[in-house]
Amino acid sequence: MGHLVSLLLRGTHSDLTSFFSLLFLGVFLPAAIALYAITPSKWKKYALLVTSLGFFRLVSGELVLYLLGSILLTWGFGLWLGRLHRDRDAAVKAAAREDRKALKRKFLLRSRWVLGLAAAAHIGGLLTVKYTGFFLRNVNTLLGVELPIPGFVMPIGVSFFTLQAVSYLFDVYRGVQEADGNVLRVGLFLSFFPQIVEGPICRYSETAGQLWNAGGITWRNLTLGLQRILFGLMKKLVVADRLNGFVDGVFTGVDACQGGVIALAAVCYTVQLYMDFSGAMDAVAGMGQIFGVTMPENFRRPFFSRTISEFWSRWHITLGAWFKDYIFYPVTMSGPSKKLTSAARKRLGNHYGPLLAGGVALFCVWLCNGLWHGAAWSFLFFGMYHFVLIYLGSLAAPVVKRVNTRLGVKPERLPYRIAQTVRTCLLVVVGELFFRADGLRAGLRMFRKMVTDFRFDSISIPMLKDLRIDPQDFFIVGVTMVIVFVVSLLNERGIVVRDALEKKPTALRWAVLYALILYIIIFGAYGKGYVPVDPMYANF
Amino acid sequence: METLYEILEDIQPDVDFKTERALIDDHLLSSLSILSLVAELEDEFDVTIPAVEIIPANFNSAEAMWKMLQRLREEE
Repeated sequence: MGHLVSLLLRGTHSDLTSFFSLLFLGVFLPAAIALYAITPSKWKKYALLVTSLGFFRLVSGELVLYLLGSILLTWGFGLWLGRLHRDRDAAVKAAAREDRKALKRKFLLRSRWVLGLAAAAHIGGLLTVKYTGFFLRNVNTLLGVELPIPGFVMPIGVSFFTLQAVSYLFDVYRGVQEADGNVLRVGLFLSFFPQIVEGPICRYSETAGQLWNAGGITWRNLTLGLQRILFGLMKKLVVADRLNGFVDGVFTGVDACQGGVIALAAVCYTVQLYMDFSGAMDAVAGMGQIFGVTMPENFRRPFFSRTISEFWSRWHITLGAWFKDYIFYPVTMSGPSKKLTSAARKRLGNHYGPLLAGGVALFCVWLCNGLWHGAAWSFLFFGMYHFVLIYLGSLAAPVVKRVNTRLGVKPERLPYRIAQTVRTCLLVVVGELFFRADGLRAGLRMFRKMVTDFRFDSISIPMLKDLRIDPQDFFIVGVTMVIVFVVSLLNERGIVVRDALEKKPTALRWAVLYALILYIIIFGAYGKGYVPVDPMYANF
Repeated sequence: METLYEILEDIQPDVDFKTERALIDDHLLSSLSILSLVAELEDEFDVTIPAVEIIPANFNSAEAMWKMLQRLREEE
């Protein structure tokens, strides 16, 4: 323990970004909870802020200045926009009725400028640290020049807290959120340590007030929160990390693998990514609950989806909602888009009419979604792949409906729903293959092999051993997936297992808890022979 | 209100807009239908519906839409 504490006090700690590392779970989180618990009620918010900034400092060193700059900009631009709104209201009230529309227009334009400046400052910072290298590398290749590529270091979570900052400013601009004069509250909203590494991307109205007014730690919140963290720990240690050797081995040694093995690795990667990311989100929700804060959910059983469009309303929900509210609707609700929809609807009908403007907005959303995940052509391809699938789905919907009616197929019947779900999962796996592949070319090569050489006969025990996995690992992963599936099925039917357990006798509750802990201790991937895997969404 | 019902029935003929109270929550109106609807409502009622108004509470029922239209007209 003393060694861990001294480690914590020394230098920057990338291990802390994993909520399931010993340093985080064993030292940082208990220390944060203890500090919060002993701090008097009216100072608790400051304890959370100091802990959050301290966490960022421990992980990212002096890059904490970037976060502090972002907080100040968010707060300052928010106040500027709020001031413009107040000035507008006063001016409109004092003006004659016929002058009001022009006045509103004048202030709207001013607010737009301020919002533009604020967004440029935030997004500009993100673009600089995240995309300069990608841009210059492509310029060098295209023009045959050798421009020096600066090695910017990305502050941890920059892609997440930047979107939170922009959403707050957008909401103030739209008038649905009051500008907050308290820079510390804005700071806590952006920096709350459980959310800063991998999200979720929170809205000001959702968490700022809760964080600022968070009360004492209750026994109920502590136990329920720890249970949720344990469930996430199981997903991460028993499934995600156990699959890592196999996935990594196949994706980095594509040439030696048959297409069937690549397909299996793509499925395993999809499972790994889900267990890793949703496990981390379980930990975030659990930590939030310990501090009395309800964090927005980022996953809602995505693999039960019947269409790709539905999948994205259940996977990384807060990112999808951000793109919908701040890109899709602003683009489709712009003057030219509305005119286009109106005109197209008259010629093309109710279904195809809106698809023109909707398609443009959807393209923008998926371009940004691809780029948000990383500065690489494979991520752009990933975005475009999903854009095409969703758009084709919308184009084909009336035809599918007609064919189903003619053939007497009932889409609500179970076999049809299962077929749709399986198809959606397969399409998702293909997308994830490109997402994980080492570049777009490698992704295409893997996909080609998967289609033209779908064989598994090279799989053998020694080959699996080389990839740091054996049949026993697959069995343990399979059993754990069944556990997660059953819990998901119950959730889908509106049953929250932790709440249901709470009503059971104490002995049963503790038995389940101990069983879960033992399960993780016995079957978790850690110790000699296992390389700890960094949180997979922390680098986006 | 009758004009609103006509527009809605034209856009999505198979929904009973007089009784439905969860058009968005129950996925009876898709985001594409909303695009059509907004364009049509703006033309017909001579109001501007900003993106910020595109929230389930404003589109879950014909009544909610009507209230939103009234409010936007007053504000203009």
